Amino acid sequence: MSTMAGVRRSTGFVRFKEERCTGCAACLRICPTKAIRIRHQKSIRIVDQCIGCGACIRACPAGAVSAATIGLDGIRSDHVAIALVSPVLYAQFPGVMPGGVLLGLHRLGFHHTVDMSFFLEMFQYAAEEFIRRNRRSPGSPWPLISPICPVVVRLIAFQFPSLLPHVLPVLRPVALMAREVKKRIIPAHTSQGRPVGLYFINPCPTKAGARSDRRGTPPEPHEAAIGINDLFSELKRQVDQVLDSDMIPFSGSGFEFETCSSGNAALGAMSGGEIANMDIEKTLSVHGLQETVAYLHKIEMGLLKDFEYIEFRTCREGCLGGVLTAVDPYIAKRNVQKMVGVFGLGRRLPRDTILRLYEKGQFQPDQDPRMLTRLFGASRPAMSLEEARRVEAVLEDIEGRDCGACGSPDCRTFAEDVVRGHAALADCIWLHARKQEGKPTRFDRPTDDGRGEKS
Amino acid sequence: MSGLRKNFFIKARDFIHAGEASIRIQHLLKTMQFDPHLVRRIAVCSYEGEMNVVMHGGDGSLCMELDRDVLWLDISDEGPGIPDIELAMRPGYSTASDEQREMGFGAGMGLPNMKKNADDLTIESLPGKGTRVRMRFFLAEGG
Repeated sequence: MSTMAGVRRSTGFVRFKEERCTGCAACLRICPTKAIRIRHQKSIRIVDQCIGCGACIRACPAGAVSAATIGLDGIRSDHVAIALVSPVLYAQFPGVMPGGVLLGLHRLGFHHTVDMSFFLEMFQYAAEEFIRRNRRSPGSPWPLISPICPVVVRLIAFQFPSLLPHVLPVLRPVALMAREVKKRIIPAHTSQGRPVGLYFINPCPTKAGARSDRRGTPPEPHEAAIGINDLFSELKRQVDQVLDSDMIPFSGSGFEFETCSSGNAALGAMSGGEIANMDIEKTLSVHGLQETVAYLHKIEMGLLKDFEYIEFRTCREGCLGGVLTAVDPYIAKRNVQKMVGVFGLGRRLPRDTILRLYEKGQFQPDQDPRMLTRLFGASRPAMSLEEARRVEAVLEDIEGRDCGACGSPDCRTFAEDVVRGHAALADCIWLHARKQEGKPTRFDRPTDDGRGEKS
Repeated sequence: MSGLRKNFFIKARDFIHAGEASIRIQHLLKTMQFDPHLVRRIAVCSYEGEMNVVMHGGDGSLCMELDRDVLWLDISDEGPGIPDIELAMRPGYSTASDEQREMGFGAGMGLPNMKKNADDLTIESLPGKGTRVRMRFFLAEGG
């Protein structure tokens, strides 16, 4: 609807093919931030309310919604291509060790591959240290919340801003990884005039729009996200060839962090995997979108204070259940368990070294998460008391059933849309039915009109 | 212009739906974009108030009244009442059953938490008749 600010079919995280949308509304109610409306039989999105969870991609039966990632053909051929690999990728290949998968990526044309293992270990040491140091101060915001799932952090910024101080202020593993790459790999190429592209190989659409987290600053070097499902079949062909040729998978890269992998990192792809191998006693892991929202409500109401650290993942079973994965999450989970069996769970980085980096402030986030509240939901003006009263009045009058036929996800959101002038009261079929029966409503009186306009 | 008033019924022993009134109030305050810290204080108080009724109070109700510069929470129940209010306000004092403690409730922090988070709090209680807790929050500018 034209009066609604910042409404598009696509967002920074998802792409929308209008011709495929049947207006079935399967996406309407599952959006956790209520960013979706149906207008003129097509789904539209309030752009700055999209947090990149991917729920609408999963829900769409018509294939109209996809992630704003690039495929293999989107890799810039004149760039040195560096793949930053989520450990979820390894779990897609039963019986193949990470080295084989990384070698497959090299054969697909990536010049470097970077594994997450060291950076997850660094993050875990730093998180443990932060909690150890703050444990005795009751004024600290307990429980702390894992910063690893960016969808969770955006959800908090948008819907639970009072919980932003709970987000553990330690740089995420992927940020540590990108920093190391920029420090150790990229300069060697740029100094020789070769442009570099960073490609995040991801199980979820959350990275694609990450640039919109820092609106305005174009990423340097070139960055893009590739969904695991974007490259799976081609990578599988390469990996199968590696296996057939009886080669010992070794990609021959320069730095150890480019090739190594660990059971710890593989486990991190699973729900509960981040905390399972951390030296913190009072932890919890919660996965799934609805469960995450429910637990954030609990924390906001003052519960769960006895816990020190909570790992949230909005995808079922954790990152293995990401919407851009290729393999069933339960099969992938089994693969992870097998990898843990082979590698064990030991860490390989010395704690002392990491603590020295911690002392130097190397793990401090470069961005205050409170900044995100200005990016998500910024287009919504605050409701006045008078408007809030009208919302309640509309709700009482329509006595609806959250059917969604009006094109808003539920009656309350519809009432808010009506009061804000973004929807017409006449779109409510319940109200319409009662009018047909001849029952008057308060909105028949012109003074209390819902101000809705029909576009 | 009058304020906004909302009434929520609270059912005794209904642990599944406990907290819903609090979530509705939070949603309202968030759409009005009140200061997150203030929203949180009100969330804690409405939730603790709701839980007190669910655990001890028999059926009851939570009434929220929002005006320009003040928000009231008025929670009343038809429960057994509180014989010694001073004792009930003491942190850690609880009359919760073992079963309720096993469910993770009954730490004896309900009323002290409400007192800490509300700008002021009054309790009236008649043993055998019920309890009424009124809390007031002063709203900052904006919203």
